[in-house]
Amino acid sequence: MADPVITDEDFQKFREFFYRKTGIQFDNTKRYFVDKRLLERMADTGNAQFRSYFTMLRFQATGEELQVLTNLMTVNETYFFREEYQFRCLVNSILPELVSRKKDSGPLRIWVLPSSSGEEPYSIAICLLEMWAGIHQYDVEIVASDIDTHILDQARRGLYSDRSVGQLPKPYLAKYFKRTAAGYQICDDLRGAVEYTRVNLSDRADTRPYRNFDVVFCRNLLIYFDDVSRKSAAETFYDALKPGGFICLGHSESMSRISSLYKVRKFPEAIVYQKPAE
Amino acid sequence: MALKKPPTAVTTEHSGRQHDRDAAGLLKQLTDSNAEVRRWAARDLADCPGCSEALVEHLKTEADTSVREVILTSLVLLGDNTAVYGLVACMRSEDAALRNEAIEAMKQLPDAVSPIMRGLLADEDSDMRIFAVNILESLKHPSVEQWLSDVIEHDDHVNVCATAVDLLGEVGSRTALEPLLRLKSRFDKEPYIQFAADLAIKRILEG
Repeated sequence: MADPVITDEDFQKFREFFYRKTGIQFDNTKRYFVDKRLLERMADTGNAQFRSYFTMLRFQATGEELQVLTNLMTVNETYFFREEYQFRCLVNSILPELVSRKKDSGPLRIWVLPSSSGEEPYSIAICLLEMWAGIHQYDVEIVASDIDTHILDQARRGLYSDRSVGQLPKPYLAKYFKRTAAGYQICDDLRGAVEYTRVNLSDRADTRPYRNFDVVFCRNLLIYFDDVSRKSAAETFYDALKPGGFICLGHSESMSRISSLYKVRKFPEAIVYQKPAE
Repeated sequence: MALKKPPTAVTTEHSGRQHDRDAAGLLKQLTDSNAEVRRWAARDLADCPGCSEALVEHLKTEADTSVREVILTSLVLLGDNTAVYGLVACMRSEDAALRNEAIEAMKQLPDAVSPIMRGLLADEDSDMRIFAVNILESLKHPSVEQWLSDVIEHDDHVNVCATAVDLLGEVGSRTALEPLLRLKSRFDKEPYIQFAADLAIKRILEG
């Protein structure tokens, strides 16, 4: 029997379907990446033809295969203290401004997505503990979300390679990690401080309960979205933020090109975006 | 004080989110006095086929910028004929902001807009034809160059042709060279057309 192949028509069908479900768009340059993973899942699920696999993907009641495939199709490349200047912006500029006008005694809330394997939310936690004196006066909640359930499990485990911790200042590495045979294990205090949740940013039902955040970190995700999905995501964050809340994007991303809802804020460390205060 | 895990995975629901989320409930909330409730309703209406007309009607009177922006995104996500024709109607409005918002939204709907593009480019109102060319500015559709070439070949209004020729200089290929030369002949007394067509030809030849 001939090896299964993904035709141009199959690729088009799949990419439209996947885009509708996740907001992630693959152009033709990603053809090899997509085909390879589709063929892998077809083999693993015993589907010799794309047609039968695609039918299963679309109509499976549990949605389990779509989740497995989504896990394979998402990119999870990150490391501790990546684009660290934004964390300095958080502790030196954003949080002082937030607490200066804070009227209630509730916690400050930070939403990080995509969480990937946890490097970013844990980096934020470390920065708060090490660089922000306000942590002694205010509670901070960190919620970290991702569409990929496997990567969320990894984040909760908190075990990292040499490469992941390569940019982390050595004193922090010594203080918050334990060297094990399997890699660097982050301490239980930090693991216990971040709440990980599965969220599809393109699914309004998924994002609806996420409210009352003071800061959102969404870095290097929207670059994978098309214009409409980016705009929709910006509106999701708008509703998730408190008035006057901030959003931090990746260094190559600009909210001004996505939506006019936010004000541009130029701090010494970074440019971030702010939901207007009421 | 310290880092604390939230008591639940996500935050407490705002009371506004606890209204009915079906189409009828959401349409009612579109008229709520609280902009936040209207914005949430507009956003969730993107999942309710058949609500485009109500969204377009509300867009015409909505004063809050953030609600307007969400209505437009929902119309793009719905992307049906009612949404597109509603946006076309907005393009005819006296309200400049509404016109511009409709144009921006239609740029995001290449599949839905393409079947009516020839009609828009042949509209009896020259302003509408200019707006149609404005849509082509970033409409991701393979016929954009052909539509622009047709405009500069056949449209009698100098401002419509001027708008099209500017864009053709950015997106055109060598196929557009002949239509550009014929445009120069048709408007040989119009200095701007001569200048813009020469510039477009230069850009295309430089690749």
